[in-house]
Amino acid sequence: MIEIKDLTVRFGGVTPLAEMTLTFESGTCGLIGPNGAGKTTFFNVLSGFVKPHAGSVRAFGEDLLSMPHFRRARWGLRRTFQTEQAIEELSIYENVAMVHEHSKRGRAARREEVLAAIEFVGLDGDPATRVGTLGARDRRLVEVARAVVGEPRLVLLDEPAAGLPDEETEHLSSVIRAIPGHTGALVILVDHDMSLVSACCGVTAVLDFGIVIASGPTAEVLRDANVMRAYLGTEELV
Amino acid sequence: MPSWSNFQPFIPIGLAAGGVYALSGVGMVVLYRATGVLNLAFGAIGAMGALIAWTMINTWHVPAGIAYVACILFGGVATLLYGMVFGRLLAARDPLVKAAATLGLALLMLGVMNRLWPAQVTRSITLPTDNTAFTFGDASVDWTQVIAVGFGVVMTVGTAIFLRVTKIGTAMRALADDREITATLGVPVRRVEAAAWFGSGLLAGAAGLLLADLVTLASDGLTFIVIFTLSAALIARLRSLTVTFVAAMVIGLVDNLITPINSITNFRDMTPFVLAIAALLFFSRERQYSFARGGIR
Amino acid sequence: MADSNVATRSRSSLRAAARLSRRDAINLLVVAGGVLFVLLALPSLLTPYWVVTSTSAVTFMIVALGLGLLVGRVGMISLGQGAVLALGAWVGARLLFATALPYPIVLVMTGLITMVLGTMIGLPALRVSGLYLALVTLMLAGAITVVLVDTNFPNGGSGFLGYADQSTGTPPSIRRPSIAESDPAFFRYVVIVALLMFLLALWHIRGKPGRAWAAIRQSEPAALAAGVNVTVYKMWAFALASFVTGIAGALLGSASHVLYAYTFPTSQSIVLFAVVLMGGVYTLFGAVIAGVLLQVIPGAFTVWGIPSEWATILFGVGVLQVLTTAPAGIAHQLPSDLARLGRFLFGVARRRIPAGGRAP
Repeated sequence: MIEIKDLTVRFGGVTPLAEMTLTFESGTCGLIGPNGAGKTTFFNVLSGFVKPHAGSVRAFGEDLLSMPHFRRARWGLRRTFQTEQAIEELSIYENVAMVHEHSKRGRAARREEVLAAIEFVGLDGDPATRVGTLGARDRRLVEVARAVVGEPRLVLLDEPAAGLPDEETEHLSSVIRAIPGHTGALVILVDHDMSLVSACCGVTAVLDFGIVIASGPTAEVLRDANVMRAYLGTEELV
Repeated sequence: MPSWSNFQPFIPIGLAAGGVYALSGVGMVVLYRATGVLNLAFGAIGAMGALIAWTMINTWHVPAGIAYVACILFGGVATLLYGMVFGRLLAARDPLVKAAATLGLALLMLGVMNRLWPAQVTRSITLPTDNTAFTFGDASVDWTQVIAVGFGVVMTVGTAIFLRVTKIGTAMRALADDREITATLGVPVRRVEAAAWFGSGLLAGAAGLLLADLVTLASDGLTFIVIFTLSAALIARLRSLTVTFVAAMVIGLVDNLITPINSITNFRDMTPFVLAIAALLFFSRERQYSFARGGIR
Repeated sequence: MADSNVATRSRSSLRAAARLSRRDAINLLVVAGGVLFVLLALPSLLTPYWVVTSTSAVTFMIVALGLGLLVGRVGMISLGQGAVLALGAWVGARLLFATALPYPIVLVMTGLITMVLGTMIGLPALRVSGLYLALVTLMLAGAITVVLVDTNFPNGGSGFLGYADQSTGTPPSIRRPSIAESDPAFFRYVVIVALLMFLLALWHIRGKPGRAWAAIRQSEPAALAAGVNVTVYKMWAFALASFVTGIAGALLGSASHVLYAYTFPTSQSIVLFAVVLMGGVYTLFGAVIAGVLLQVIPGAFTVWGIPSEWATILFGVGVLQVLTTAPAGIAHQLPSDLARLGRFLFGVARRRIPAGGRAP
């Protein structure tokens, strides 16, 4: 469970997050909102790249903001980025192993757990392949594999379907749905693809101008009038 | 601790040096803002221009005035040529790569200079303005020093006005802000950049000439004087012309005023380095995260 | 089940990769052959002048190794390695004069002390990156060079600086290992030390630090998000580069027996960077090429009567060429050029053989 209370971020004259308050219990949870709503800023606060002006974040009973950023991965924070960041010059195996060796898990189970994560996301090529030679779909999957290895507790997926054609999104969707069951982690999914969000997330929150304007079961939220107004005026979303 | 009268002679020297650093500092900053290139070969270009002027005066017996103009023009043309070839080739690359390329240019020019003008011979340039203008306490100030300071001021103010008032100047400021958008606005980017290259080159030539008179006409020495200019430009965060000017004057003064202090005079050469390091570190207190890739790209 | 098939396939292909592939085996054989040739046969084939030059070349391969690691693996441009080299030379000479410790111990101590100094100096630079890091390191190098000009290099004198003002007579010489006093023997010694340094670097690159560095080079935020303590790993890279460079400095002192401040001008840091770029920063082989370029070219020029400035000009042109067309350097170009040459020759040979089956 993750509890965000009055989270506020200020940059110069802009306030990307304004007393954001939100609670997610478990499973895969969506976070949507128009461009500039503050979703990536929120993720950056969780990752530790941005210091909030005020507010608190408690995840699984611990104060996340008091931990130095590189320690959060060890605690169990995992994140994917909008422009995918799998390390090109390393192999698939090395990419995933790297996250594993900086986590709490020890050396003994490393090989098994890394291969299991690679298998889980459905990558069936040679794990010794250099990631730089892979296509967009496989690189995304490498990123997701990095996100599920080593006892993750909180997985942040930032637009994982961006740039992928619809067929690939299907597979990604089934993988994302399976993460909480497979790892026990809480997943927060940010994306603009509403069908992906509906398919994966039981609950969804909507961010607009840095405040949460709706939150609850995904189907209801997507039909909420306020949400539609925030996005496009009065047209229906789904 | 030396007395006031010990310091006096070094004040006009320091101010003059500062004026020249400001002169080339302005060129460096404008070029960086317009093209993203931090020209580390600035000093080498000025040095070569000065050496060419020396040859014209002493070997070919050309009238001094023409030689001085040739020196300044050489600066402009050489820099322009580099800009048109390598500036164009590297236009899309990281500022680090662009600066590293100018290091290559500096090495190349150093080699050429040492080949054509062997270091064993002592050379000097004496500008006609080297006669005393006035005395200031125990120190005498010559016209060259006055010109150096004056030029520094004039160039700083003049360039600031140029950037604000003229079309090309405004275009340069736009380029500094955002290259791609400026190009789509129909601004003739290449012509504007050429102007920046040529203009900064002229300043390099002028600075080289003045330094050759005020300090030394040795290829190595002149090439590495660029560090002083670089320090001033860095203190100004490669942005403000006014700060570049002030920083340059301070650097020139501090560097020369250390000379009579016996306890630290040996470490005088550290001045630009220490100041530059302090500036760089002071201005990067805020940790900035970027997704920019590291290394040579 | 489909899942277990995938798992079995993954595991067996990983095991296949772990076994030395044929290309790896060939590489290893070539390297081993080359090293043996250099160790055993080369000194007797070279004139005394070239033995000394080759010793310098191998020593600078170690320096290039450190710098290549910083630039190619981690993505940190340091223009101050020349100053670290000078520091190492200073420390090495001081220890060799002041103590009678066995040479290998002095080498390791020099490496460690230079490592500490280099890391301390690099510490403020860790907060900046890209162009500013390059400039800060250049400035730091300049400052150190000024200090060294003032303190001079140890020459057997007393006191902390170990420098005695000598106007007459020959200065005492910096000693060499007792088993390797002669030039050819010292050359072999340096080759073995270099080999050990390369192995040290390889061990880092293939292991946890290497992976962390690759992540940092690609994207610091992503590395942080993966749990990499970026500051520590950057420091580690600086430390390793300073360690090997310090050892190289000590070797330089013993090679020339006496050190002067002008042996380490600020411009050397820039030339070093230029040549390392030309050699290639993404492979260890690039460091080998860099060492050769740095010493053999000027050496050859001297022998052939070509003025030394041409070497500087060559390096300047080389930097421009590398940056504009071949960022991976000669180490990358050479194998692919050789491969192309090989394919061309093979194609010619095949056309000469009378067609026994398929057309070419």
